[in-house]
Amino acid sequence: MSLETLVKISEAVGRRPEELARARNQGQKVVGWLGYNIPEELIHALGLIPVRLGTGGDGKLVEVGSRYISSKNCVYTRNLVGLFAENTDPYIQNSDLIALDSTCLQLYRVGEIIHYYFNINTLTLGVPRNFFLPEAKKYFQAELEEFAGKLEGFAGKKLDAKSLSESIKLFNGIREKIKNIYKFQSEDSPVITWSEVYNVVHAGYYLDREQYSAYLSELLQELEEKHRNRNIDIEEEEARVLLAGSSIPPGDNKIIKIIEDLGGRIVGDDLWTGILPYLGIDIQESSIKGLADAYLKRVPHGALPYLDLNTDKRLQNLRESIKSNNARGIIYYTLRYCDPYTFKAGETKDVVKQDDVTLLEIHTEYAGSDFEAIRTRVGAFLEMLRSGI
Amino acid sequence: MSKINAFAGVDVGSLGTKAVILVNGEIAGSSLIRTGINSVENGLESLEKALDSANLKKEDLKYIVGTGYGRISAPYANKTITEITCHAKGAHYLHPATRTIIDMGGQDCKAIRVDEEGNVVDFAMNDKCAAGTGRFLEVMANVFKVDISELGPLALKATQVLPVSSTCTVFAESETVSLLARGEKPEDIIIGVHHAIANRIKGLFSRVGIQSDVFFSGGVAKNTGMRKALEEVLEVRIANPKNDPQLVGAIGAAVSAQKLYEKGGNVNQRSA
Repeated sequence: MSLETLVKISEAVGRRPEELARARNQGQKVVGWLGYNIPEELIHALGLIPVRLGTGGDGKLVEVGSRYISSKNCVYTRNLVGLFAENTDPYIQNSDLIALDSTCLQLYRVGEIIHYYFNINTLTLGVPRNFFLPEAKKYFQAELEEFAGKLEGFAGKKLDAKSLSESIKLFNGIREKIKNIYKFQSEDSPVITWSEVYNVVHAGYYLDREQYSAYLSELLQELEEKHRNRNIDIEEEEARVLLAGSSIPPGDNKIIKIIEDLGGRIVGDDLWTGILPYLGIDIQESSIKGLADAYLKRVPHGALPYLDLNTDKRLQNLRESIKSNNARGIIYYTLRYCDPYTFKAGETKDVVKQDDVTLLEIHTEYAGSDFEAIRTRVGAFLEMLRSGI
Repeated sequence: MSKINAFAGVDVGSLGTKAVILVNGEIAGSSLIRTGINSVENGLESLEKALDSANLKKEDLKYIVGTGYGRISAPYANKTITEITCHAKGAHYLHPATRTIIDMGGQDCKAIRVDEEGNVVDFAMNDKCAAGTGRFLEVMANVFKVDISELGPLALKATQVLPVSSTCTVFAESETVSLLARGEKPEDIIIGVHHAIANRIKGLFSRVGIQSDVFFSGGVAKNTGMRKALEEVLEVRIANPKNDPQLVGAIGAAVSAQKLYEKGGNVNQRSA
């Protein structure tokens, strides 16, 4: 970790659980959230502290979770339920309310399970299955109004336009900075790796958002300076890979480690635990309607159906990302029983083939038993991209 | 440095360890031993035997490539390459018109598509369970109390293909025992087992496609019944092997060793 700001961010994350506990002792409330379409601006504008929850990669927690949720649910949701069951995660311990949206229906079930078994206070935001119909827009706006009303009740205050406007400005700034930081990692001889950027994104799950925004500005400044002064050493036959597919939350390092250990270079992602939530959002007015309209226009989550491959914004974004990051291949990581992304692997492969990009699907779970088999597949894929033998 | 233009490929598989020596681009020696518990010793023993058969010494080798699941413990190799790439190179060396490879080894099976130069362009691999692998056939041979080498010839004697619905090793074994108890002919059950595996492998090709010529490699490729079942289920003709199909990975490793040496490869190259 040669960037000073990364060290500062990492240290700030280390201090965060204690900070949250202190804030709660002083009467502040923490909203832990799971999903894709929860507008953090709304939580923040009400003076609540938003924390994005969820870790993965822990086979033991998957086993614990399986006692409460069917083993035919994806490993991430089972890991999550295990996390709530064990109740050792400091962010879960410090959450006063858990907000979820129904984008991923398995995650939606997690909300029901943790409420039923662990008596956890949950609040769910309904999300339409089709984002483009007028009825869908109306539905989501109504859902968001109800969600906001319940949050107001929880916060004990009314949402005011000024606070919302300030929160939107803050989150727009964070999104812009994240997008700019991502650009540095895909450069030749980068001064920051994709993994480091991914950790920065995950730090944003927990940190105070004003402080996080300031760290991002500092990081950008440091990156710009280091980028200007770097020595360019272009590696021949670099295996440039884009990561896509199911979520890769903090703690799930298997595929990342395998790719990097084998000398592959991750140059971007198409993940809802990565860059996706920061893309394509343009909030036109500081209101619930403004938030609802803007969130529906984002790159949709893969769990949502669509009717036409040619107009699927998710695939369009993936193709653009391949080009802008000069990726030569996609590693499409799917979790066992994460059906939406698994079903979409084949068609995604066909779509990116139009751009002469090959796709390798890695279908796995959090147990380590398939580590070597995945290593062989990824190794062969990287050899294929290098074509150097 | 020896003046002999010799290269070696060592393929440490789950059931068999193979080594091949190439001299001036031709196969000069080979060996095949049963894989034991020590990958390093297995690889070295196989390499020594292959060198003996080529009348060469280890010092004569200019470059060694290791492959197979045991490649992660191959200190004797200058570089390691995945078996997927090695099977592609080996099949291309033996049969340059190869565009599709079915590789059935001891613990997994693979569908590999290659271009006219033997470069991998796509692949799919099944290793979630033992179905469609040498290990599965070993279990089946045990049920019929025959040596694994007899399964193929027995399958060819079948008068009908009895449907065997399960490719799970445990369930297929119990289904086979039930069919025997019902008085079905062993040959008909055996060809049924082979068809069940072939149907499962067909699924791999739905992901990568299939194009002639089709090459069958790996230890299971010695099984004539499997070959026939695959030709029937996939509706393709499989190219006739010129060499022991179990050696294809090691041949590909030796071919790669020569290419890497000619490209100026060194021991510090990144390995898979």
